[in-house]
Amino acid sequence: MTMVLSVAEVRKDFGGVHALRGVSLSVAEGRIVGLIGPNGSGKTTLLNVIAGVEKPTAGTVTLDGRRIDRLPAHRVVELGIAKTHQIPKPFLGLTTRDNVGVAVLYGSRQDRDVARAFDEANWVLRLVGLERHAETLAANLTVQDRKRLELARVIATGSRILLLDEVFAGLSPDELREAMGLFTRLQKEIGFGALVVEHVMRAVLTLSDRVIVIDEGRKIAEGPPQQVVRQPAVIEAYLGREAARAAT
Amino acid sequence: MAEPSAVVAQLIFGIVRGILLGCVFALIAHGLNLIWGIAKVVNVAHGEFIMLGAYGAYFLNLFLGLNPLVSAPIDAALGLAVGLGFYFGFLHRELRGKEAITLQSEMVTLVATFGLSLFIANAANVLFSGNFVGIPWNAGSVELGILQIPLGGIYVAILSVAIIALTQIFLNRTYLGIGIRAYSQDIPATQLMGINPTVVAAIGTGLGFGVTMAGGAFLTVLFPTGIYPYMGALYAPISFVIVVLGGPGKMWGSLVGGITLGIIIDVGQIFLGPSIAYAVAFLTLIPVLLFRPEGILR
Amino acid sequence: MKLPAIPKLGPTVWGIAAFLVVGAVAAPWIPIYPLTILIGLLVFAALAYSMNFITGLTGYVSFGQVVFMGTGAYAWGYVVGTFRWHPIGGVLVGAAVGALLALGLGAVTLRFRGVYFAIATLVMPLAAVDIILVTPALGGGQGIILNLGFEPLSWFYTIWVILAIEIGLTYWVTHGRIGYGLRAIKGDEDAAKTLGIDAARLKLFVFCFSGLFTGAAGAVNAWTLSGVFPNDAFALLFSLQMLAMVVIGGMGTLLGPLLGAVVVYIPHTYFLTVVVGAEFIVIGILIAIIALVIPEGIVGALRRHIPALRRILE
Repeated sequence: MTMVLSVAEVRKDFGGVHALRGVSLSVAEGRIVGLIGPNGSGKTTLLNVIAGVEKPTAGTVTLDGRRIDRLPAHRVVELGIAKTHQIPKPFLGLTTRDNVGVAVLYGSRQDRDVARAFDEANWVLRLVGLERHAETLAANLTVQDRKRLELARVIATGSRILLLDEVFAGLSPDELREAMGLFTRLQKEIGFGALVVEHVMRAVLTLSDRVIVIDEGRKIAEGPPQQVVRQPAVIEAYLGREAARAAT
Repeated sequence: MAEPSAVVAQLIFGIVRGILLGCVFALIAHGLNLIWGIAKVVNVAHGEFIMLGAYGAYFLNLFLGLNPLVSAPIDAALGLAVGLGFYFGFLHRELRGKEAITLQSEMVTLVATFGLSLFIANAANVLFSGNFVGIPWNAGSVELGILQIPLGGIYVAILSVAIIALTQIFLNRTYLGIGIRAYSQDIPATQLMGINPTVVAAIGTGLGFGVTMAGGAFLTVLFPTGIYPYMGALYAPISFVIVVLGGPGKMWGSLVGGITLGIIIDVGQIFLGPSIAYAVAFLTLIPVLLFRPEGILR
Repeated sequence: MKLPAIPKLGPTVWGIAAFLVVGAVAAPWIPIYPLTILIGLLVFAALAYSMNFITGLTGYVSFGQVVFMGTGAYAWGYVVGTFRWHPIGGVLVGAAVGALLALGLGAVTLRFRGVYFAIATLVMPLAAVDIILVTPALGGGQGIILNLGFEPLSWFYTIWVILAIEIGLTYWVTHGRIGYGLRAIKGDEDAAKTLGIDAARLKLFVFCFSGLFTGAAGAVNAWTLSGVFPNDAFALLFSLQMLAMVVIGGMGTLLGPLLGAVVVYIPHTYFLTVVVGAEFIVIGILIAIIALVIPEGIVGALRRHIPALRRILE
């Protein structure tokens, strides 16, 4: 059965600040949904709410019809949704393999067999191309490899829906091409669904099946990538009113 | 219990004494809070520096005949020097070049200052002999109706609040003070402002120690025979609780927390006995941490 | 629930096991004075391993650890004194009370991170001793004084068994799935949660072990003193010594707490005969230097600087 994540009318206030003012969307297993919007539009907050890191002020998050918005983060992962961190948060004192092994041992598999978990971890490391760094302490990885490790860990959790927070940011054009190729390969191999928050337009437009634009905590557009970016509301949100008028 | 009016009188006396005590508690906690808020170091050896401040007042009285109010500024100056030494000899190695203080580094300083506290307390015990000593200084007292309030207590309470206010003005109004506050918020930004973070952190630490040792001198007025090498073991936890009650980094919070704790201890002592009073004072920490982790002040 | 399989035992385990077995076999022939020193060392080691469960494995610094030692001692004193239980039964009760108290305190205090946890636990023994002082059933300020015989061999084998179980459990925890979860929590608790680790439960789990063994060691310590005294039973110095042993030996390691116990206990007994409190001058400086210079402790430093030892030491 295909897993479906749906977010309905989610609001999130921090004190007097309304970070999300009623956002709805859905992501099905195997589909890639891009989530774009200007800085401070609430993208990361939305990912945190879905992942159970933050509790929504109102609205619901469901997975196959089951409410998950009141569950703690670790339960959400057990059910099959895992999030990367915008700034990678590896366990610095552990090796790359141990970092991934932890994700296999816990995550949604909850596999208690350490030896088997590490076989699985090795497989994931090969998939993302980190196998030569398996024994390296995460503290000694480059920024790019730390990003790969973030990706490796969420894959290792066995999650069917991944929440990816700017995994393509800060890469050179060559690295970006390589990373996008890697993403496509992984997606083909594993078939996960993903909600991809991204500033790098090229990546979002190429990889996503559908794109959602949010601004100031509200959804302002949704649709196939190439169509969405031509909508005046989207151009306005990104570039201001003048640019939107000039473009139309 | 006796007749109602006597109970009320006791209660009022407890509250008044509690406020006086609380102001001095607030000062020693303020010293901890400065170091905690600025250098992001929780100094477990805090109590030992209070103890050194108290012994400073004791020896200045013994050899020069100074009263504790006069000794306090001398203690403060000593504290400033000790604080600079503490920073460069102890913290600098761990904090140097760090843009933010990680949990890891927090644990390192926690354990290291604990080692220091063992060292100081026990060295003091060997050097000063482990007996209780006191300062024979009595400033007299004033009568307010049926209450007798010791003047010394009033002096040290007022001076404590004044010192807290002065450090506040220093931190908010002077160039160096603003630099220190900037350091406590965001270390890289301090550098962008053209301020040397090492200098700022060292001065902040020195300031905290100065305040702490002056507080130790003031304590000797309230507890005239309470000076002994292991006194820090009582005052350090009290300071920790006060800082958490008031909210770390919030300087006026220390005053509110200090007075709260002073009243709990003094009023509690009258009605519940000293043991339970202290137990209640310590355990106040738990509900505050659970429900108001940012301290009782918003 | 399927228990994780025990992986192959390394040289460190064999070394510790050899030490314990030699001690157990030789004990009846060891003269009284060295035997009492050995008993003290084992009590300290048991305390060090119990601190290692919480502080070594999760990075949560428990300044109030002595509260479990004190309650274990009082539980022991109470059942032995009032109900005339056999001291070993009292040790079991002490262990159970320690674990239960850890469960209760941990459920509240383990929500606080870093310094806040340290301070929240710090006030526990202070409050406990204040409460005991006014509890007549526990002897108030007087404590519980019992007239038990001098039986060093019983003390020795009791603490020996406690320590052996504790080291075995440490090995099991660090080498299994739980160990990886704990290392993740120690590394970055928030990140650990987003990988599916139930941090609250794991922390509470090891904290209960910690309380259990601290309580048991506290009971044995009370047995060797044939009594419990409020200010000694809850002396923060014990917490601090436990922390010192773990930090000096190497947090979270298998051999570290034992090494730490030797380093802390030996000067403790030696200087005790010179001048009271002097041993802490030495220990204090030692802790400060080790925390600042080699925060990973003796075992960690050896592993880092001597690659050949990496396969052997753990």
